[in-house]
Amino acid sequence: MHGFISNKKNLLALFLFLFLFWLLTMQVKSGRFTFMEKPVLAVSGFLERIIVAPFRFAREAAQGYLFLVHTERDNGRLWEELERLKLENAVTNELLLENERLRDLLAFSRLNRASSIAVLVIGKAASPSSRTITINKGAADGVVKDLPVITATGVVGKIQSEIAGTAKVLLLTDPASTLAVRVQRNREEGLLEGKIENCALKYVSYYADIQVGDLLVTSGMDGIFPKGIPVARVVKVTKREAVAFQSVIAEPVVSLSRLEEALVLKK
Amino acid sequence: MKPRVYFLFFLLAVPVQASLLNPLSLGGIKPDLVLSLLYGIGLLTGPVEAALAGMCVGLVQDVGTAGLLGLNAFTRGLIGLGAGLLGNRIFDRESPANFLFLSAFSLMEGVVIAVITQVFYGNMPILRQFFTFMIPQALSTGLLGALLLRFLMRKNIITLFIRRPLQKE
Repeated sequence: MHGFISNKKNLLALFLFLFLFWLLTMQVKSGRFTFMEKPVLAVSGFLERIIVAPFRFAREAAQGYLFLVHTERDNGRLWEELERLKLENAVTNELLLENERLRDLLAFSRLNRASSIAVLVIGKAASPSSRTITINKGAADGVVKDLPVITATGVVGKIQSEIAGTAKVLLLTDPASTLAVRVQRNREEGLLEGKIENCALKYVSYYADIQVGDLLVTSGMDGIFPKGIPVARVVKVTKREAVAFQSVIAEPVVSLSRLEEALVLKK
Repeated sequence: MKPRVYFLFFLLAVPVQASLLNPLSLGGIKPDLVLSLLYGIGLLTGPVEAALAGMCVGLVQDVGTAGLLGLNAFTRGLIGLGAGLLGNRIFDRESPANFLFLSAFSLMEGVVIAVITQVFYGNMPILRQFFTFMIPQALSTGLLGALLLRFLMRKNIITLFIRRPLQKE
């Protein structure tokens, strides 16, 4: 015992273990500490970009070659599709203009179309306690904390921290993630929390009508996500007597494990 | 310890784990390269040095992810300590038993993290995670880690982490 204590390295290790334990318990009260996040993101984001670059280049070169092989065949089909889409676009534009005129007439506020930034996923971190991804755009491109990240399918998460050329995205399934949602079918509201593999809809009254298959969309109440974006689909509903709230489990509509590209919505 | 090699290890741990191993990922499960290297360091250097290395690399990982600050540092420190204690008793450092030990360490770390996360956030699907994430993750880490260690030991690359040359057993 005396030998153990007299060794400085042993004492340092013991002290550090106790310090880490204290650090963890402190976060129970005050929430997660984030003071070192940006410097580490700067270094790790930069290195991730360097590491990923050759793989991305090789993949894009291979895809480019395959693309060329099929170009001639696809070209004709795409021209036909383009002509059809032009026609559809003209009709849609007409409907849009008509819609806007009607909105003006009814004194509705003009719909704000948020601009977006296309981003590539350059890193994924998954552990039993968190789910985040790193993207290739950062503060220099206008990406700032809490901006929503989505795909054409639905919500991915929100920006957790950013530096000049990289940002960290807190995924929907991370336990630290909360999102105000509403059931598309009947407009019931709730708070969606990450549960690593899926999400849980919290604070839904026992008497609320929630069914398996219901689509949850953003309610816009959190001031972060625009209203009406698909978020998750209900996969399990459990009601227990003497419990005021239902237990609702929902799967994100976006396949987060296979995510490669996304959009960051600017305010 | 060789400080420069350790510095590189800590610097590259998060980006390599986050980006380079993505092609090996199956449904979000990918082998834990950092844990494998830490285990190798533990076998060669001893419990205290490996525990300190584990804490440092864990802290870098903590800051790089959205998890609780200190959680990975704590568990990785324990893994370093365990691997170091194991290293005092293992004679064949290329033994296939490394697969079992690595898998066990990975599994134990997963359980500890899940339990602590449960304490913080509550209502976590620990049992489901155990079967769908922790066990596959432990097996993939054990398999890749054992192969990697075998390679690094044979090529003497792992000795970059220690000051003195390996003694013949």
